[in-house]
Amino acid sequence: MPIFAAPFGTVPILEGPELNAALAPLIAQRSSTAHRDPLAPDPLCFRSREDLFEWPDEAAVRLRQAMLEGLVRLTQAVNAYTDEQFDAFSVQARARFALVRPNGCWPICTVPLATWCAFYCVSAPPPVAARPDSAVLRLYENRFGFMFMDPTNCRMRAPYTPGHHVWSPVAGTMVIFPGTIAHEVALNRADSDLVLVKARVRFAVPGVQELPPW
Amino acid sequence: MVKGGIQVRSAFAVPFGEARLKNCERLNGELEALFTARETQEYRNPMPSHTPQEETFESRFNLFRWPEACVQELRRFVLDTVVETVLQVSQASAADLARLQMHNHTWYHVSRYAGSFVAHNHPLASWSAVYCVRPGQPVAAHPQSGLLRFMDTRAGADAFLDPGNARLRLPFALQPLEMRLEAGQVVVFPSYVFHEVTPFYGRDTRITVATNCWFV
Repeated sequence: MPIFAAPFGTVPILEGPELNAALAPLIAQRSSTAHRDPLAPDPLCFRSREDLFEWPDEAAVRLRQAMLEGLVRLTQAVNAYTDEQFDAFSVQARARFALVRPNGCWPICTVPLATWCAFYCVSAPPPVAARPDSAVLRLYENRFGFMFMDPTNCRMRAPYTPGHHVWSPVAGTMVIFPGTIAHEVALNRADSDLVLVKARVRFAVPGVQELPPW
Repeated sequence: MVKGGIQVRSAFAVPFGEARLKNCERLNGELEALFTARETQEYRNPMPSHTPQEETFESRFNLFRWPEACVQELRRFVLDTVVETVLQVSQASAADLARLQMHNHTWYHVSRYAGSFVAHNHPLASWSAVYCVRPGQPVAAHPQSGLLRFMDTRAGADAFLDPGNARLRLPFALQPLEMRLEAGQVVVFPSYVFHEVTPFYGRDTRITVATNCWFV
């Protein structure tokens, strides 16, 4: 059986196509200097301020609801809490959008002060022949135990396979994984943008421990 | 109140060696001419370990067996730097190492616009090194262009940050090590350290030589 396993959830958002149709113009309108994260000036990867979940627009509100519902379902599935215990937690979430332009990428990062990281795909560029890693979300391997390899550990089947884990974004789908896993969006080799919403999420137990501001 | 002085030291440290080849222009010019002339199928790595990027040429791993004088001159400089680094951080003596055979896999990369190399480490080697033949143009709009980025080995240590640990000084800071290599510079590091080359956005070429070493 696998030990030390990390959960990686894939959640199709049912209203995805309709939601994306409403989000696309909103995001396009806000792809401006006023909404850009001032710490991320990369011209080939527009990253917004981390305030998308505070937008009052209906599409943003629906997206927040859909992403958090999916995230709660996943976290409940991998935890031992009863529904009643889980309901006592309060959810804290922040989100931004990103436009990964052709030849752009989103460099490696983790999400400190959050337990979960989620990516929702608003639109994905078409696959590029011979470039299977174009615009993929890549989660980094960090186990040093594979420094010694022989034929019996270099081709192990999933979930034991050593190496990075990749996900090719699909419009209307969200993925969720622990925020401590370093990740990046690989270079987009297509000729259109990859549009993503990234959220970091944590749960608080009211009255137990105050979490640092994020 | 604390009585007496507090001593702070570094634990779990990762050794990095660095050296520069003086007057490297002639050697680098010869290497660049040789490497670009051999960007062909014959010299390309036939078994790449990662998805090949057409913007980055990767040679076979036998570079230091090429007989050309410029390659052999580079070989001496790079491998001597690796050995010196090992001697500085290991309890093995020069005599100990002299009794061993030092093996290497060595190759070169030529990167062009939007070329990069995914994060990786090097199983079955103890020491790795990267030598810079040509750093490529810096690009003002892309300050992260063509960096050699080493990942912090303390994965997950930055998961909880508060003012007490968010601004630690070097060498304690929880952050990757990013290096913009200069021509003639070589950096030596343990092969277990994950590292990557960030996308290069210069309109010229970025050329490096990498080696993995092990002792038997």
